[in-house]
Amino acid sequence: MGATDTATDAEQVLDGILAAGVTHVATLPDINLVDLIALVDRDDRLVHVPLSREEEGIGIAAGVYLGGGMPAIVMQNAGLLNTCNALTTTAIQFEVPMLLLVWYAGHLGDNAFMRLGEVTEPVLTALGIRSFVPSDAADARRIIPEAARLSRQSMRPIAVLLTKAVLRRFAS
Amino acid sequence: MKRYECLDAAAAIVTDQLVVTNNGGASTEWAEVGLPEAHLQVKTLGLCSSIGLGLALALPRRGVIVFDGDGSLLMNLSTLPTIARQRPANLVHVVFDNAVYEASGGTPTQTADGEAGADLAALARAAGIRNVHAVDSVDGFVSAFRSGLDGGGPTFIHARVEAVRKKTKPVPIDEVENKYRLVRYVERTEGISILARPLPASVAGR
Repeated sequence: MGATDTATDAEQVLDGILAAGVTHVATLPDINLVDLIALVDRDDRLVHVPLSREEEGIGIAAGVYLGGGMPAIVMQNAGLLNTCNALTTTAIQFEVPMLLLVWYAGHLGDNAFMRLGEVTEPVLTALGIRSFVPSDAADARRIIPEAARLSRQSMRPIAVLLTKAVLRRFAS
Repeated sequence: MKRYECLDAAAAIVTDQLVVTNNGGASTEWAEVGLPEAHLQVKTLGLCSSIGLGLALALPRRGVIVFDGDGSLLMNLSTLPTIARQRPANLVHVVFDNAVYEASGGTPTQTADGEAGADLAALARAAGIRNVHAVDSVDGFVSAFRSGLDGGGPTFIHARVEAVRKKTKPVPIDEVENKYRLVRYVERTEGISILARPLPASVAGR
């Protein structure tokens, strides 16, 4: 996979974020997310909020929505586990829409973090959060705006899980 | 100094600012003296300053006030560098430090023990927050609070208070009603639409 293909994957995900009407993106990096986060940081149409721990991102996202914006949080699935209380007692208890764009470590094509991969979808299901796994970057471009619409219509967070098939930078 | 004395003084100063309270005594005490429509009562320990930051970023011309507690801030210390990096001029973050987990039984927090206790104002300064005040009198609080509302923030006010809670009436709304009440107030006062959702095709007549 060449550098151009890599940029295209992240760019397609960014296009999906913009088409979703997202205004603010809170991020905490996984190495597979760095191209996407760099694009978010450079894009004048988005407010980028770098985080130090993912749980604060759920609070920031809730505030952004209550103030009239549309929030997304870009994080790894380890970080998603850090957010479980905030998702439950802020996002879901107050019924606040937000997009969770989660790097799916431990999924097909990965060589590590298998325990994280095993629990990711069961945890989301237990929290009552619907999730989608795009098949490639073009599919992510199509799904992300639809996920944002579902989130706004259902007043719930919606997760889109990004695998190595979507962001191919480190494909072996 | 008692927390509710500061909140009573703040209520006389606050105009159209949005107010976010932590899930402790500040929440029910502010509910008695503040404007209900502008008040979000957070239920996740530690998250009120993050929610306030999100509001301040989404509405950069609107004042946003956070009434936090020591136990709550200690659970989400990463909020301080995150706020500092965003530099929201319209955010005033007040931490009422009573050195105990008051709402859950009075166990000491990490700010207790005098010299050995954590200094929250020093933490805020070290995190890069622009305007940091440490106050231990109502007059000192009012002065710092007024200067924060004038802008130029983010402002952080560390207010040492006694571990005393005012007896308050229960607030008879749930979180979802709290959300709608705040959002409708923001929509009305900002002239924006937040909750507009497309109607189902069967209703819209498509």
